Parts: sequence; structure tokens; C-alpha cells
Amino acid sequence: MQQYVTLKIDDARVQAIKGASVLDAAMASGICIPHLCYVPVLKDSGACRLCIVEVVNDGRTKITASCTLNAEDGMVIRSNTERIRKLRKNIAELLVAQAPNSRAVQDIAVRCGVKEVRYPFRNDNCIQCGRCVRYCTEYSKANALGFVGRGKNRHVEFALGFRRDFCKKCGFCTEYCPMSVTPCGGSMKSGEGRLCGNCESQTATADKFTGVCVRCELGRGFGCVRQTYV
Amino acid sequence: MTALNSILKGRQSQPHLLIEVLHDVQDLYGYLPEEAMSAVAQELGVPLMEVYRVACFYKAFSLKPRGKHVFTVCTGTACHVRGAKLLIDQVKGQLNIEPGETTEDGLVTIENVNCVGACALGPVVIQNGAYCHHMTPGKLRKAIDKSRGKKKKEERAHA
Repeated sequence: MQQYVTLKIDDARVQAIKGASVLDAAMASGICIPHLCYVPVLKDSGACRLCIVEVVNDGRTKITASCTLNAEDGMVIRSNTERIRKLRKNIAELLVAQAPNSRAVQDIAVRCGVKEVRYPFRNDNCIQCGRCVRYCTEYSKANALGFVGRGKNRHVEFALGFRRDFCKKCGFCTEYCPMSVTPCGGSMKSGEGRLCGNCESQTATADKFTGVCVRCELGRGFGCVRQTYV
Repeated sequence: MTALNSILKGRQSQPHLLIEVLHDVQDLYGYLPEEAMSAVAQELGVPLMEVYRVACFYKAFSLKPRGKHVFTVCTGTACHVRGAKLLIDQVKGQLNIEPGETTEDGLVTIENVNCVGACALGPVVIQNGAYCHHMTPGKLRKAIDKSRGKKKKEERAHA
């Protein structure tokens, strides 16, 4: 028999299966916490940090990523406080600065309230969310991709530098990559500080009518759970 | 390949021995050849990606063939404060190579690492596994000259 735990997310009582993450619990109840590196079928790695929440414990709050946080009985979670919004906006801004040519990252950044990016662009075209690597190792079990190097030299690479025979050529690494969809307004240039205009207008509508989903087109790999509730 | 087989003997299907095995392979060849890494991956039951990842992560492993004499310059905080940068500059000027590279004659390799754990003795240079403490650019120049000069004498003797 499945055991359930009860926790409070944004003052709402939420039931979750024991062992599920806080992010899972929130989305199952229709509370949308922004997330990027999270893929339902894969292990959570807490790479993008967009899904940060406040955990209230004895009157003190701790900020942590909700995808790697196990839901426990009596937990009190706040996902939409002023402090969290500010931090999340900053994280989204850094992600855009790291990889400005991604529609998914821009969309999420706009949803987190980013209007302009204050950081210099790095144009890495990779935010190291590890979606491709985790899919390759955990789901397709090909182990063709992996993170190589450390610190600022960490990057995704094939084993020994080129595609091996054991790559199954399933193509899901690109399918799941947030960089595979280019922004509708074209790629961003340094100093322009412009985010995809289409998404911005969508947010504006969502602001006017509460409960309206932005329905950001985040590519097929990015099926937003929220869309099923609209 | 027999030497490699003796390293892998009795260690098959034990993924936790990966780093140990890689150390032995490194000692055997001086670096990690691709074929050796593939063999290690197959014998230990570790994905090749994992072997490559570990080999890239640690500075102790080299993927390129290294020279006969390996000078490892510590550029940790303590050594940096005591002038490790001068040592690197000295090497660059003398051998015309960057850290991590090998001279064209395949004699000297210069590497830099972040800390070797001998901060009180800094700046530290490790010459073929031997720790040389309180290094100065002058001392380092002499040590490099000596390691290269020996070869020249040998060549002369052969000629």
C-alpha cells in the first residue's frame, strides 16, 4: 500500500506519496514551481536551481531546491515569497546570461520576472542542466554522454572526445536540450537586454487574468505539467 | 598488453577499484592511452564515459604522453603567495612551453597543480615524484638544465 505524507505548500494542504519530492507534490496539486532541469522520468539533480523554495522549520526558513527535497510529514513550504521571487529572478537572469540563445531559458526567465539581463553574456549555449547526460545514462543506458572537466571547464562531452559505437543515436539528448529551440525574436546580442517579445505579451495576459497559464512553447521535451490543468 | 593484464588480474567486475587501476596504468605507461582506458572499462564493468570522466577530473591522470622528466609546480594559495607564478614564468621562458605541455624532444613536461599539501615548504616543485621545497626560479632553471643536460651527454657518448 502506498503511504502518504501531508505537507503545506503555500498555505495549502497537499498530500504526496512518501518518497516523492516537494516539486512533484506541488505540481501534482497544480502549484507551479518554475523548473528547468527537472524531467519526470529521470533522477533529479538540482542543477538549475530555479525550483528553490523556502522550508520553514521552527520559525526559521531555509532555502533549498525543491526537486531534490523529499516531501515529509508536517513540512511547511513557501514557494512564492518576495525573497524567493527575488532569488529566482536572479538565478534566471544568470541562466540567460550563460546561454542567451535559448527559447526555453528566456521563456522561464520572463515568467520569473526578468525584464533585462544585467550580467555580461557568456554565450556558452549550455547551462549544464544535465538533461542530456541524465537521459543518456539513466533512460537509454547508452552512457555516451557525460560531464567532463571541473570548475569552469566542466562541459558535456562524448567519451574520449567523439561519438562512440555505443551511442544509440536515439537523439533524445537534443530533444531534451533546452537549447534546441531558438527564441522567436532571434538570438540575443550582448547589451541588448531584450527577451522574447511574444513570451512577454503572454505573461502580460497571464498577469491580467489570474490562473491563465502562459503556455510557453518549450519544445516537446519540455511538456509543462501545468498545461494539463488548463 | 600483458602488463596491463597483470594490473587488471583479480580486479575484474569491481567498479570501485577504478581509480586504483587507473593509477597503476598511469605508472605503467606514464599516461592513460585510449586502448588502456577501453580495456579498463570493459574489465571493471564501468562505462567508458565514467573512466574518461574520472581521468579528466583528477590532475594525477594525464591523457597525453608525458616527457621523461615531469616537473609539477604547485600553484596553491601558499605557493602562489610565495612566488609560484615566478616559477611558471621561468619555465615558460626557458622551455617555451605552457604548463601541461611537453617539450618537443619529449624530455621535460611541466604541469601545474592546485595544492600538493606541503604548504609550509612552499613554493614546492615535484620533480619525478620527489618534493623540492623552497624553490626559486634559479634553482628550477638548474634542475631543468640538469635533466636536459644529462640527455645531451648521453647523446654525445653514443655519437
